Amino acid sequence: MSEEKQQVSRRQFLNYTLTGVGGFMAAGMLAPMLRMAVDPVLKEEKHGGLINVGLAVEDITNEPQRVDWKIDQVDGWYESQVSRSAWVFKDDNGDIQAFSPICKHLGCVVSWEGSDQYPNQFYCPCHDGRYYKDGTNVPGTPPLAPLDVYEQEVKDGMLFLGEPQLREEA
Amino acid sequence: MKWKKADLQQYVQAKEYIDTIILPLAPFQFSNDTDLEKMSFQHEVLTLLCSEIEKELTGRLLLTPIYNYVKTAEKEMEVQRVNGWVNNLQAQPFSHIFFISFDSSWKKVESQLNGTLLWIPGIQSGDLQSAEMHGVIKDQVEQLTEFMRSYW
Repeated sequence: MSEEKQQVSRRQFLNYTLTGVGGFMAAGMLAPMLRMAVDPVLKEEKHGGLINVGLAVEDITNEPQRVDWKIDQVDGWYESQVSRSAWVFKDDNGDIQAFSPICKHLGCVVSWEGSDQYPNQFYCPCHDGRYYKDGTNVPGTPPLAPLDVYEQEVKDGMLFLGEPQLREEA
Repeated sequence: MKWKKADLQQYVQAKEYIDTIILPLAPFQFSNDTDLEKMSFQHEVLTLLCSEIEKELTGRLLLTPIYNYVKTAEKEMEVQRVNGWVNNLQAQPFSHIFFISFDSSWKKVESQLNGTLLWIPGIQSGDLQSAEMHGVIKDQVEQLTEFMRSYW
């Protein structure tokens, strides 16, 4: 081998390689630590417990539509995915409404215009419970309270929903 | 409603509204290796299916614990035991009893059962977590709840 070709000596080569590999390993160990130190800053995808339900605001019409999504729920024994649903529409003022589909009577799932006899109302198949479009219960039917309303927020044109909230007796 | 303390507390207070029972029938056996997987899978699917139905119609039906039996056992005897369950259930004001099963052998003794048998063919293999399976189960739940509602 000529002197010209040996631009990198054996010693240099080993130095470079070991520093490189060592640095890489150190970075691998340090990165998770740093990640933990700044963890709260990075946790932004679920802001304020509201979850993107995958519905764009421009797709919300005056006609209630059902959206389903999943949330992670931790209870005493295990963490599980729980499915949630909501009836979403724009009311006469153009405001977005998101109602919980859980009947206030005994907890069945209500559907919009679920019965042909009662157009323009939410209908519960179990005991003929009914709600007007604004979610208030129709007097004389089993439910005694209006449907719960989801916390909501619009961000980047997408609808985010949180926990269902009890409403004042209407 | 499920066989759970909180649900049963509610049941006792609202008895007059809950008139329907779902009783899942699930076989098991350990004598045949090839069937082990299939049966456990069907058991899982049945559990899921029933709890989804229950979720839709919570306020009007009670989901009982699963009735487990050995696949090869004499059906006549099983019918008697199931009817024993039903007799006991009827101490409460239930007027509709539905059995749900993937086991076709119940179909043959259907007339001896004190209730309506819903035999569901089809689901034997697959991945419970897959999107297709979710779709299939969702569709079945929809049709089964529709069917039950026609009895009310």
